[in-house]
Amino acid sequence: MEHGSLEDSSASTFSIAEEDHTLANSVRFVLNQDPRVAFCGYSIPHPADNKVNIRVQTTGDPAKDVFKDALQDLIVMCQHVRGTFDNAVVDHRSNISAQQMDIDSNSQGCGTISKRLYQMLTSAPHSIDKTN
Amino acid sequence: MDPQQPEPVSYLCGDCGAENTLKPGDVIQCRECGYRILYKKRTRRIVQYEAR
Amino acid sequence: MPKKGTKKGKSADDEPKEQNKLPEHLEVQRTRVVCKADAPTEGFQYAGAFAAMGIDNSVSVDKFCKNFKVMVNRLTEDDMEFDMIGIDASIANAFRRILIAEVPTMAIEKVLMVDNTSVIADEVLSHRLGLIPLDADPRLFEYISENDVPNERNTIVYKLHVSCKRGSPRLTVKSGDLEWLPEGSQLPLASPAQSGDKQKTYTSFGQSQKDIFEKPLGVKFKDITIARLGPGQAIELEVHAVKGVGKVHAKWSPVATAWYRMLPEVVFREEIRDDAAEKLVKKCPVNVFDIEDLGNGEKRAVVARPRACTLCRECVMGPTGEQVELRRVRDHFIFTIESTGALPPEVLFTEAVRNLEEKCERVISELS
Repeated sequence: MEHGSLEDSSASTFSIAEEDHTLANSVRFVLNQDPRVAFCGYSIPHPADNKVNIRVQTTGDPAKDVFKDALQDLIVMCQHVRGTFDNAVVDHRSNISAQQMDIDSNSQGCGTISKRLYQMLTSAPHSIDKTN
Repeated sequence: MDPQQPEPVSYLCGDCGAENTLKPGDVIQCRECGYRILYKKRTRRIVQYEAR
Repeated sequence: MPKKGTKKGKSADDEPKEQNKLPEHLEVQRTRVVCKADAPTEGFQYAGAFAAMGIDNSVSVDKFCKNFKVMVNRLTEDDMEFDMIGIDASIANAFRRILIAEVPTMAIEKVLMVDNTSVIADEVLSHRLGLIPLDADPRLFEYISENDVPNERNTIVYKLHVSCKRGSPRLTVKSGDLEWLPEGSQLPLASPAQSGDKQKTYTSFGQSQKDIFEKPLGVKFKDITIARLGPGQAIELEVHAVKGVGKVHAKWSPVATAWYRMLPEVVFREEIRDDAAEKLVKKCPVNVFDIEDLGNGEKRAVVARPRACTLCRECVMGPTGEQVELRRVRDHFIFTIESTGALPPEVLFTEAVRNLEEKCERVISELS
């Protein structure tokens, strides 16, 4: 349900039923990353009612379109998360089976995974390490 | 169905747990041990509960 | 969320020459949560945050897809631990909330008590039965509503009929004593006035569930104690299990629990040597620090296992507290999921993500 003014479509409040912080906070985050958004936030009018109000104010574009785009972006992000996660699980399983075949030749089986994780983390571009 | 005298009901003795069938007007006493407190058995009807 | 204005760095040159470099302290503020002795201090995160310095702080979908990483640390049949790097707290929290409350499972809902002469009251026994985890894939079942007839697609029926004979020792009734009834309910409905084979029961199964589902739909753990019977006591009941979500009642939650924590980072502001180093190593309850020998009898403290840090803040308290800085990486989440057994944990997470997608689609279709 959209509450806005008839002349100015760039600012409106969307009242969604049967939703709570789960969806609202995620959509608010995605909206914040959109450069067309001047202001966005969400509130829950009363905790006993299952409703959430999402306020969107844009720099000119109709708020409804910006909101829909944000939801679409969130769907794409979720699909990407799912794909990456499935690949990671498959990788992990193949690593485990490869390790079990190595266990005869290499007695250090279990240390490899956490070492790999450590290597990935320390090579990440945004890590700041001042341990020296 | 007996409109005047309902069918004999069995009760459990409080002491020895023996079953006693009593008709209306019988003395209230266990037939085996003489204990005078008798309990009614649980209903046979199916009771429905919500598992919450 | 505190929305501070854009801050220009203390550096003399603030031209956007180097597009990717913020001064050190601002970079910390942007990507880390600093955990001081009294409370954590957060930075801020919105698209225009460092615009004046020419830094693009936004997380557009393309950037997200490029930088997002998942690393599985441990994966067993019942639980898993994995790292999600490059995602925001609001979405990670959404996954956690959906895992706990909105991924459906099967659990016992209706209890038809025929006989219960045990010391456990009827309603207490029913409550315990509701909490037993069932080994049934909820994706193969449909929801049942008030006016629906219980059939083989939306109900699982179990029977429990145990008694303790007089003279035997006390009997423990375990969850493994629940028998699956693939043909449906065996209890006749109130009026047995109709004669012949057509006796109505509490469910109407068109076909046996043995033909529909490959593996038997039993309980997941057979050793859960339901009740204890003394001599002469008996329990006879039938239960119906239906599909539901944790939001309605916690028995339908598919996870024992699911939680996340941000990756801890322990950094030395100044080098810690010798005695102070020894004391620091002893202070930490999870052995995050280690001693490194420098030769000449000199010792130095190093951070060996930052991932194990529980942020108890022992190392930042006291007179030597200023030398250590505790931080958390804002977009690196260590997720742990413990499944109760109906679905394996990796399937649970995938279902949770799909659930969030469906929510978005529902709102989009409502808007159009």
